[in-house]
Amino acid sequence: MEIDNRMLYSQTHEWVLVEGKNAKVGVSDYAQKQLTDIVYVELPAVGTHLTKGKSFGVIESVKAVEDIYAPISGKVINRNQQVMDKPEMINNEPYNAWLIEIEIENPEELKELMNPEDYKIFLDTEGGRW
Amino acid sequence: MAKRTPLYNKHLELHARMTEFAGFEMPLEYSGIIDEHLNVRNNVGIFDVSHMGDIIVQGKDTEKFLDYFLPTKFSSLQEKQAKYSSYLNEQGIMLDDTIVYKVNNEKALLIPNASTATMIYNWIVEKSKNFNIKIIDRTLLYSSIAVQGPKSVNVMKKITDYDYTKMGSFTFDFISLKDIETRDDDFLPYNKIMVSRTGYTGEDGFELIFSNEYAEDIWDILMREGKEFNLKPAGLGARDTLRMEKGMLLSGQDFHMDKSPIEASISWIIDWDHDFIGKEALLKIKDNYQKIFRGFIMIDNGIPRHGYKIYKNGNEVGYITSGTMSPVLKKGIGLGYIDKNLKIGDTVEISIREKLLKANVCKPKILR
Repeated sequence: MEIDNRMLYSQTHEWVLVEGKNAKVGVSDYAQKQLTDIVYVELPAVGTHLTKGKSFGVIESVKAVEDIYAPISGKVINRNQQVMDKPEMINNEPYNAWLIEIEIENPEELKELMNPEDYKIFLDTEGGRW
Repeated sequence: MAKRTPLYNKHLELHARMTEFAGFEMPLEYSGIIDEHLNVRNNVGIFDVSHMGDIIVQGKDTEKFLDYFLPTKFSSLQEKQAKYSSYLNEQGIMLDDTIVYKVNNEKALLIPNASTATMIYNWIVEKSKNFNIKIIDRTLLYSSIAVQGPKSVNVMKKITDYDYTKMGSFTFDFISLKDIETRDDDFLPYNKIMVSRTGYTGEDGFELIFSNEYAEDIWDILMREGKEFNLKPAGLGARDTLRMEKGMLLSGQDFHMDKSPIEASISWIIDWDHDFIGKEALLKIKDNYQKIFRGFIMIDNGIPRHGYKIYKNGNEVGYITSGTMSPVLKKGIGLGYIDKNLKIGDTVEISIREKLLKANVCKPKILR
């Protein structure tokens, strides 16, 4: 299971990559492995406001449908059309296949996410939601 | 604690992702569901299906009992013929589907699903009280491996000495393996395993049934001899997507003690020219049912899933029981029940996360 050291992680296995005032959001290697072959991604339109902890889209594999949850609050300023066209990118390179870019609303929320070390412990102990 | 098949350690060696299914720890995937799926369509795959039931019926009244017990007229089958069938209750409702194998007039093998094997065993016991038969449950003593795909026959030719032009679809035989000497029991003859030309993928394929002790060796032989045909192991994930493309029912999902074979679009399993459990009820259902099992191919971008509702002109007309993204068609596909007056080729709408998305109605066998 790979964990990218640049990211912060949520308990629902989304990652957050902070880039100044904005952040990219994707799902972890653990998440993509649990999902199996990903074939469909549904993402919110640019301009949509996301609330931390609420579902903002779905990822579908051949076998199942899973919600993806906003790891932080903020406005969607970009979504990754490439991943929508080729959802298997999430399986192949989970840490490059960002889903959406958010304008960070409240930097304090970032503190509630796990750093890579804590996420590793989380995976080893509590496991996942799937 | 989940049960394990004799091939459990083989799955771990191959780094399969395991999942619990019908009380068994089974492989979900090895190299990936889509990869395994396409390899079965193009080459050959092997599946551990040891979790399925194996119930032997033997004795003087075997024909008489199975004729009464199944909608299939067992007595009209040839020796070494197999047939897809179903266990019905008096209401004409399917308790499970099955394959029935006729060894001879006094011996048959039934293969119910893993999740229902115990219930079906008890059902047979209950219904056979007045018949002179013996029922032997070999579910936990026999293993089976399905060899499926257009190149499966090449693999079978390598591991056995047998003329497979003599084995048509849905027939079987007892065959020797080149590399292993197998012991006999009261069902399997000395040095023979059971090989049937059957499967659950819609491809040419075989199912091998044998005693547990040979499971690992036979798996290894298949892996070794199949290499040149690009044989790969395949898990329950691919088994599910393969059967969906071909419109094959999954017991407990596409029907669950709530459907007759008529509604499930398998009326062809019913031989009306004999009396059997549920016949009277079926004669009534025949003219009075509302919904029928169909396939659906998405026109819009979306994937139907179990429980999604189907609409036509704003009216609810049915529901999805199985769905996935077809690895071959690369479109969302589904199976489910809709009003019987809707026709093949009609456009309906499937409600996917509050959006109504268009799909075409087709026969259950979506992939022709």
